[in-house]
Amino acid sequence: MKLKSIALTLAALCGIGIASAQQPHVYINPGHGGHDSDDRNVVVAPYAAGDTSGFWESNSNMWKGFALQEILRKKGYKTSISRVSNTSADDLPLSTIVALSNASGADVFYSIHSNATGAGEGYRINFPLGLYRGYTGQPQVPGSDKLASDLGVYLLANQSTVWTKNNYDLYGDWTFYPSWGLQGLGVLRGNQVVSMLDEGSFHDYIPEAYRLINRDYCWVEGWNFSLGADRYFERLDQYGLGIVTGNIRDDRLLRAATFVMHGADTRQPVNNATVRLLDANGNELQVTHTDNIENGIYLFKYVAPGTYTVEVTDEQHFGQSKQVTVTANTPTYCNFDLKRVRNTPPEVISYAPVWTDGDLPVACNVPIVLQFNWDMDIESTEAAFEITPPVEGTFTWEDTNYRLVFNPEDAFDVNTLYTVTLRSTAQHGGGTEMGTDFSFQFNTQTRNHIEKVMLWPDEGAKPYTKSLNVEFRTDSLLQSKDLLNLFRVLDKDGNEVAWNKRGVKNNKKGDPFGYIRLPISKELNAGETYTLQIDRNVADTIGLHLAAPMNINFTPVDFATLPQGATQIADGENAAQWEVDGNYKSAALTASTTHLFGSKALQCKWDFTDTDEPAIELLPVQTLNDVVFGRGDTIGVYVWGDMSAHKLQAVFMPSANLAPGDNFEPTTVDVATINFHGWQYVYAVVPTDGQVLAALRLTPTDNRMGQSGTVVIDDVIHLKGSGNSGLNETTLADVVVAPNPATDYLIASASSPIMGVELIDLNGRVVARNAGNYINVSNIAAGNYLMRVYVNGLVSTHKVAVAK
Amino acid sequence: MKKILLLLLAGLSLTAAAQHVSVTSKTRLLEGVEGPAYRPVLSPDGSQLLFAAGENGGLKMLDFNSGVVTRVSDTPSAGTDAFWGGDGMVYYVGQERRPNNLVYRTGYAYNPATAQTEVVLEAQHGAVLPVHATRGAALKGSGKSFAKAINRGTAVYTAGAELFITRNGVTRSYTPVPSHAGYLWASLSPDGTRVAFYAAARGICVTDLDGNLLAEIGNYEMPCWYDNDYIIAQNATDDGHQFTSSQILILKADGSFKTALTTPTSMAMQPTAAAGKIVYTTIDGLLYQINISINP
Repeated sequence: MKLKSIALTLAALCGIGIASAQQPHVYINPGHGGHDSDDRNVVVAPYAAGDTSGFWESNSNMWKGFALQEILRKKGYKTSISRVSNTSADDLPLSTIVALSNASGADVFYSIHSNATGAGEGYRINFPLGLYRGYTGQPQVPGSDKLASDLGVYLLANQSTVWTKNNYDLYGDWTFYPSWGLQGLGVLRGNQVVSMLDEGSFHDYIPEAYRLINRDYCWVEGWNFSLGADRYFERLDQYGLGIVTGNIRDDRLLRAATFVMHGADTRQPVNNATVRLLDANGNELQVTHTDNIENGIYLFKYVAPGTYTVEVTDEQHFGQSKQVTVTANTPTYCNFDLKRVRNTPPEVISYAPVWTDGDLPVACNVPIVLQFNWDMDIESTEAAFEITPPVEGTFTWEDTNYRLVFNPEDAFDVNTLYTVTLRSTAQHGGGTEMGTDFSFQFNTQTRNHIEKVMLWPDEGAKPYTKSLNVEFRTDSLLQSKDLLNLFRVLDKDGNEVAWNKRGVKNNKKGDPFGYIRLPISKELNAGETYTLQIDRNVADTIGLHLAAPMNINFTPVDFATLPQGATQIADGENAAQWEVDGNYKSAALTASTTHLFGSKALQCKWDFTDTDEPAIELLPVQTLNDVVFGRGDTIGVYVWGDMSAHKLQAVFMPSANLAPGDNFEPTTVDVATINFHGWQYVYAVVPTDGQVLAALRLTPTDNRMGQSGTVVIDDVIHLKGSGNSGLNETTLADVVVAPNPATDYLIASASSPIMGVELIDLNGRVVARNAGNYINVSNIAAGNYLMRVYVNGLVSTHKVAVAK
Repeated sequence: MKKILLLLLAGLSLTAAAQHVSVTSKTRLLEGVEGPAYRPVLSPDGSQLLFAAGENGGLKMLDFNSGVVTRVSDTPSAGTDAFWGGDGMVYYVGQERRPNNLVYRTGYAYNPATAQTEVVLEAQHGAVLPVHATRGAALKGSGKSFAKAINRGTAVYTAGAELFITRNGVTRSYTPVPSHAGYLWASLSPDGTRVAFYAAARGICVTDLDGNLLAEIGNYEMPCWYDNDYIIAQNATDDGHQFTSSQILILKADGSFKTALTTPTSMAMQPTAAAGKIVYTTIDGLLYQINISINP
């Protein structure tokens, strides 16, 4: 037991107390405490997470509270404070704090905090916020809103910080935290004292966190609290001293940091600067220093009213002085923007690309980088930059203006010698010019954009309505990050069709070409024109992008039924009816449930890895003698393609019965190139009478497109009649045949590779055919014809005339 | 039959240890009759209950026998620290903010028998604290104080970090444990032999009437005596801004036993106990009465 005082009588209990009848009593509650789980730690360099020397809200709240207590006592207030140390035990329960406040007999209660958005680094703000008990404008304890608004005036006037809004937010806690119901803030709940909780600034705005580590900055907030109390109690004229405080920054050097910075916070605070307060005679009254933790804060406490000079010196900056006038009980803010000492002319100390004659050329999208010995003046340096041949581009400044980066708007021209010159007029931040020009050259490579290798669906394509996979293949590996967002499919009304994002596949390191495969999430409408949009910013791994955006129109079709008049010569229902030619080992046949008609289809898994086989042939086990093709008849095949770029050919033999070992001359026609995904109907016209189908052949044409894959064949059909493809003949918009009429050549052109052309007379007979894009008509009779242009697995039919 | 009933009620036990303390009944009070009610205080005989009407509202009184609720005072904050005097009167403190924004507090006495109120301590600036006494009552002011016959019994109160005990007309101050922020919620055991109070950052302390520390029984709040052996208290947690849990505990005054009477998520708080009753409120101001069974 500790006997604190001796006998007091009943009379003493009823006697006169010590409290002054007119002395305001302020209860101070520095929020949080203990550096524990309900404290708030913001990790800022050089402090590690959990380092109690770094930013903890409990630290700054306590320092503000200590300052407020100290200042209020000097001003003649009575004070109580809920904690004087920073331990978990001293972080008192909310009910206790409220009860202590009520029992203290205080006139007002301040709970001191700082704020946080709780959002990501991309959303950082900084402003003071005052909260009181009740709904906004309806405080539970009358006067609490005035207490808060009287404080807000001084917090908002703080010029040492950077606010992101110009008004003091003031709310009742029931309004501010609607999801909390009437629970509200625990330290205001049941608190009978005129009370408020202040969130003085946002500590997750990192420049503010650095300031809140500085005890002088916290002291100034305590000072501002005291002014709020003076204003509330109408005592502003009862204190005779002031303060001088401010922030010292470099006048232009940008802060080398990745966190969000606003306004003057983008400039580098000056650490370890010496700041002196001089009287009118130049006598030093106080001296202080900014700290070394990136906030630039200085403070002179308890300064008598008068005119003074604040003098700042720093080794790396020119000194600076400002005259200030201090008035009683008012903060005097005096910020400094110091000019760096730059005692040599600026010069380029390194550059890129470094190239000399005889070196390999550089990529066409390489940025031009100039590294300087000083932070440079942006305007004069950009004006001094020249490149020939001229290139449009953008400047970016890095490393706090020590590094200039020029990026071409598109890409440098291929195989071009460029000369970069920085003229002597470029200045550093102190205004000194370089004095001499700086120049270098580089030569560019032969490739400056991504090239399309394959695209499905390409312009005019007629993909199957169901399970459409869009695939874009390029001549170099694509950057996969955000690639999906650069592709869109729009319906005829401009509505975007959703991707099945889980099914998206991208190229990976080692792939022979770049690609992205994008499944469409729903069945498309047959006959409706859709547009595939590919953004120009699709980029490869070295940053090259497309030369231009692409807009591809395609029209889905539904292969619900066989063409009218078609004879089914193989239905794919029984895989045993086909075999792989024994000469080829690189394929295997199975029945596939991926089908168009019936319930099965013939699946061919092919693998050319480690083989040099030129092709695969699929043979009917029994000769298909029942179906004899005549000249001009069409063989049609429904193929589920794998975009392998294989050529699909039909091999025919004479229909006459042949004995084993008989020789015959096969007739081979190109049916399609497998440059599509999913089901397609492909066909070819048989050029010779009396033929039966002997084989279907897959011939690789581009081994970059993969060493293995799967194609599926459903029905193979026969259509009688010359030139009858079984499809509605269409004219593709981007296919042009000229001249028309023609006397020498009919020439087809298209945006996609042309696989062949045919000229058909009015009787449907093919009168000329060429694997290229033209037909020599000089020996063809004058008249009207149809010209078929085979492009990208599609057929475009055009009416043409041959003239003599 | 009585044993069977007790067993059934024991089955209703919320969180109390089955072998030792059981909650035998739980009753919502004034449901549909009153709005949010806080700071309940039972009269020593358990027949009446003071409570604050709303968070910062006036003072009301429930008579358990008649079920009648009486409005005692509309004075703001009257319900915050109202208490029963040893003389059967209700004492409370009202406050007003004057034009200079200083807060003045006035001591009142209310006679439940006559429904008459009188000012017992004129308005003064500063604290006016309740003094709990076995006989009479007192209000300790920063300036003047009021006292009525407490020198004929025992009285306790806290101010700052001091515990004041009055015996035989002599008041002494004690600091049984250090606490910067201060002491709160002093109360006398029903037999008048021990004092329970709360020391900030330390918890609930029990002393004898000479201020000798007998036990520190846990860092809980708002202790009040259930009987001469047990103390009821609040156990709340928070995140620095709002409550995250709150429950009612029972603790043995010698620190040898404790158990919960409600769950942490019950948000039960501000308990009062007398004559075998326990009343508490919840964070949203719902009053509950629970009865317990203690098997020694």
